[in-house]
Amino acid sequence: MSLKTVATSRAETRPAPKPTPKDYRSARTVAGLRKNTPGLIVLLILGILIVLPLALVLLAAFSDSVPRPGSISLGGLTLSNLALLATPEALGALANSLMVGAGSAIIALLIGAFLAFVCARSDAPWRKFIFFIGMAPMFIPALVGALAWSLLCSPSAGYINIFLRDLGIDAAINIYSLPGLVFVLGIFYAPYAFLLLHSSLSMMNADLEEAATVHGAPLRTMLRTVTLPLALPAILGSAVLVFALTMENFPVAQVIGNPAGVDTLPTYIYRLMSATPAKSNQAASVAVILTVALMAVTLIQQRIINKRKFTTMTGKGNRPRQVPLRKMRWPFTILALAYFAVSVVLPMLALLAASMQATPFVSSMSQLLEANALSFAKLGEVLGSNDFQLALKNSVLVALIAAFAGTTLSFIASYIRYRTKSKVGRLIELVAMTPLAVPAIVMGIGLLWTWLLLPLPIYGTLAILAVACVAVFMPQGYRGVSASMLQMDQDLEDSAVMLGAGRTRSVLDVTLPLMRVGIMSSFLLFLMLSMRELSASIFLFTSNTRILSILVFDNFDNGQSQAAAAVSVLYCLVIGILAVIAQKVGGERKTKH
Amino acid sequence: MKISIQNLQLKYGSFTAIENLNLDIEDGEALVLLGQSGCGKTSTMRCIAGLEEPTSGRIIIDDVVVFDSEKGINLPPNKRNVGMVFQSYAVWPHMTVAQNVAYSLKQKKLSKSEIDERVMEALTLVGLEPYADRGASLLSGGQMQRVALARSLVMRPSVLMLDEPLSNLDARLRDRLRVELREIQLQLGLTCVYVTHDQHEAFALADRIALLQGGRIVQMGAPQHMYEAPASASIAHFLGVSNIMDCTPESTAAGTTTARLADSGLTVQSAQQTGETGTSPKVCIRAEDLQITAAPAEHPNSWPGTVRVAGFQGNDIRYAIQLESGPELDALGGLKRGEQHKVGDRVWVTVNPREVQILPAEVLA
Repeated sequence: MSLKTVATSRAETRPAPKPTPKDYRSARTVAGLRKNTPGLIVLLILGILIVLPLALVLLAAFSDSVPRPGSISLGGLTLSNLALLATPEALGALANSLMVGAGSAIIALLIGAFLAFVCARSDAPWRKFIFFIGMAPMFIPALVGALAWSLLCSPSAGYINIFLRDLGIDAAINIYSLPGLVFVLGIFYAPYAFLLLHSSLSMMNADLEEAATVHGAPLRTMLRTVTLPLALPAILGSAVLVFALTMENFPVAQVIGNPAGVDTLPTYIYRLMSATPAKSNQAASVAVILTVALMAVTLIQQRIINKRKFTTMTGKGNRPRQVPLRKMRWPFTILALAYFAVSVVLPMLALLAASMQATPFVSSMSQLLEANALSFAKLGEVLGSNDFQLALKNSVLVALIAAFAGTTLSFIASYIRYRTKSKVGRLIELVAMTPLAVPAIVMGIGLLWTWLLLPLPIYGTLAILAVACVAVFMPQGYRGVSASMLQMDQDLEDSAVMLGAGRTRSVLDVTLPLMRVGIMSSFLLFLMLSMRELSASIFLFTSNTRILSILVFDNFDNGQSQAAAAVSVLYCLVIGILAVIAQKVGGERKTKH
Repeated sequence: MKISIQNLQLKYGSFTAIENLNLDIEDGEALVLLGQSGCGKTSTMRCIAGLEEPTSGRIIIDDVVVFDSEKGINLPPNKRNVGMVFQSYAVWPHMTVAQNVAYSLKQKKLSKSEIDERVMEALTLVGLEPYADRGASLLSGGQMQRVALARSLVMRPSVLMLDEPLSNLDARLRDRLRVELREIQLQLGLTCVYVTHDQHEAFALADRIALLQGGRIVQMGAPQHMYEAPASASIAHFLGVSNIMDCTPESTAAGTTTARLADSGLTVQSAQQTGETGTSPKVCIRAEDLQITAAPAEHPNSWPGTVRVAGFQGNDIRYAIQLESGPELDALGGLKRGEQHKVGDRVWVTVNPREVQILPAEVLA
């Protein structure tokens, strides 16, 4: 080993020597360096995208100044920022975050498990539609969902509260509260639990269950002794996943929690950052706490999910058994429809009503039914406004750039990890997966400081927003591409090389075409996720580079809820169109294969 | 073309996959690398192909040094003109049969007419010319195998390597393709390297077999020689010899050997001279060399026993016979030429001393 290191340093300091038989060892080392070069470049890119921002946040947490050009030093190291962590505000935010995470995980799990069971394993009517119900809220950005529910249930002007008042019921539902926050997060993150549990329940090996029946277990016992234990990793895994996602969620906590004075860690960080003067170092120290907490939760979640692989997956296609619901068939379907109403229909109606109502104030629901009470004027106005058009253009541009760059980077990173013997492959994977355990809001702060520091002037341009999306969603993209790469037999590419093609030629001729399904899916995933991004972008936009999510957030923040609602409606429409396109592309690919 | 492999070594960390391997393959020869999984046979093939970089050693193909660790030479696979048929065939599903086969010729930038001509020639050779325009994902396993073969043949490789070429096919097709492969190889005078774990496949395809164990060549020779004279008990076991027992050999005056079995003390006569038998010598007898008769035979190697299991196999019956004063033996009784015995029958088991081999447990390193 030591010999090799010596040889390496020698080769680095001297210009590469012509290989002669005598010093073949250094010739080999040069070859080794050349072999690792692409890996090192990718590692460098990922390092700047992901590691450097985190390092700067960590540095700021223990420093008395913000990292900026010229002032980066280890001289001002201090632990005083940590004193802030013991204040009631910070502790309260931490407690709220944990409660929000736990509460919404329970709600999401109950809803997700119910829908998954009804959809995958029961004989309830409309099961295909129930599958759609389970997925649909995913296409509503959480920010928009929160905005819609604040329109529905704000204590004074919420539509539901007005309706209750119309009915003479003197009890207002206040969404601006901790339970309200838990409720909104729970219903909008239920799809994650649903999808995980649905795949677990529907891909379960039917033989395992049939074996229980053959050995004399009645249906109920089978469900309890075989089905439930087999689904347990998915149940736990999805609960922890929702916990992690909601704990770091910023937009919903800001929209619902802020009016109630309920701070969670992300909103607390945002408040510290947007105070004048900004308390950046304190924000950084809170960010470190949030990141550590999320890392712990993510590790637990990965553990649970990884165990799942060999328990329920099967390649054989006999469908698992359906549970007859008998009298409960319709009630179960109606319950699923109720969730659909709460998660999609009511919010969408509220957004439409808010963006269409002629007067800003509504005192009774009957007012909305009067002639001329509703008009498309506001929507049209927003649609034609410069603000909206610019934001739409920016959003689409950012999403496209991020999707292209992210997919390319994911492909190269996966290739180095799984198709070469490069020693940095594992490290690349670790770095690429890191953002999974880093809150987007923390990434945002880190990226802000990174790009103020680096000589590449992309701060203030759309490029930095695209960079943020690539950094934040790298794990999802990388995982998608590498899964599809692992499914493809390496021999397919090697055989092209054996037949005389160079390595790059072989990748272009064979690997890329055969992986187009996985690559396309990752591209679309990047695109969809980037369209919805807010938490990191919130620190990175300027007035010229606002994207749709920022426009919604700004309007809401300035009290212009009608404009916010109108933009939201159009925002959802754009995402919906993209989703349909994605579906089309996916569908075509399925029929081809 | 001629291939020479010198002092080849391949290590993955501390694990040695190939240990100082030396091998010369003659022009037009069919060499089979035979061994169990993990013995280094596929690694050796991948080193020749250039898909694996050896830790040290030298590989020369057709007088061109393609790998030399001392001189830092490592020619990439696409510059070695080596053909390879992968175990998974690796036929590209997004191309037609003809496109698959034409690939290497396109890399050489040949004219379209020449490409078409050579593609058809190769497809005719493997009997696939009607399938030229068919999508490759629509083929059966045997057809894919032929496409993979044609694709490699069309580039006129210095050497053609085939990794477990028949293992993914069903038994009947395997028998037919085995003959076809041998025929094509002889017809084209092609230098071929096969990798397989199946001794029947090796026997049928090889001019010469190199048997690998633990990353080393432990025995090399013509198939028949390998069959008749395995160098160790562990090779004999791998080649299908089923009765292998520990023993203590003693030389007799006649130059033959008497072996006393370790477990039962039964003595077995062997025509073999006691040579170097290493530390734990073993008696090796093939199941098909045992004669089973109802009546006692006047013979030094004839022992009474009882049939415990008789398994009908079509041409023959596989017996498990418990000797009265010895071990249980695995024996094969031909249906047409011999008698039939039932479970519980008392029988005599006889073996010619010439068929009894006394071998060291392992080849001495």
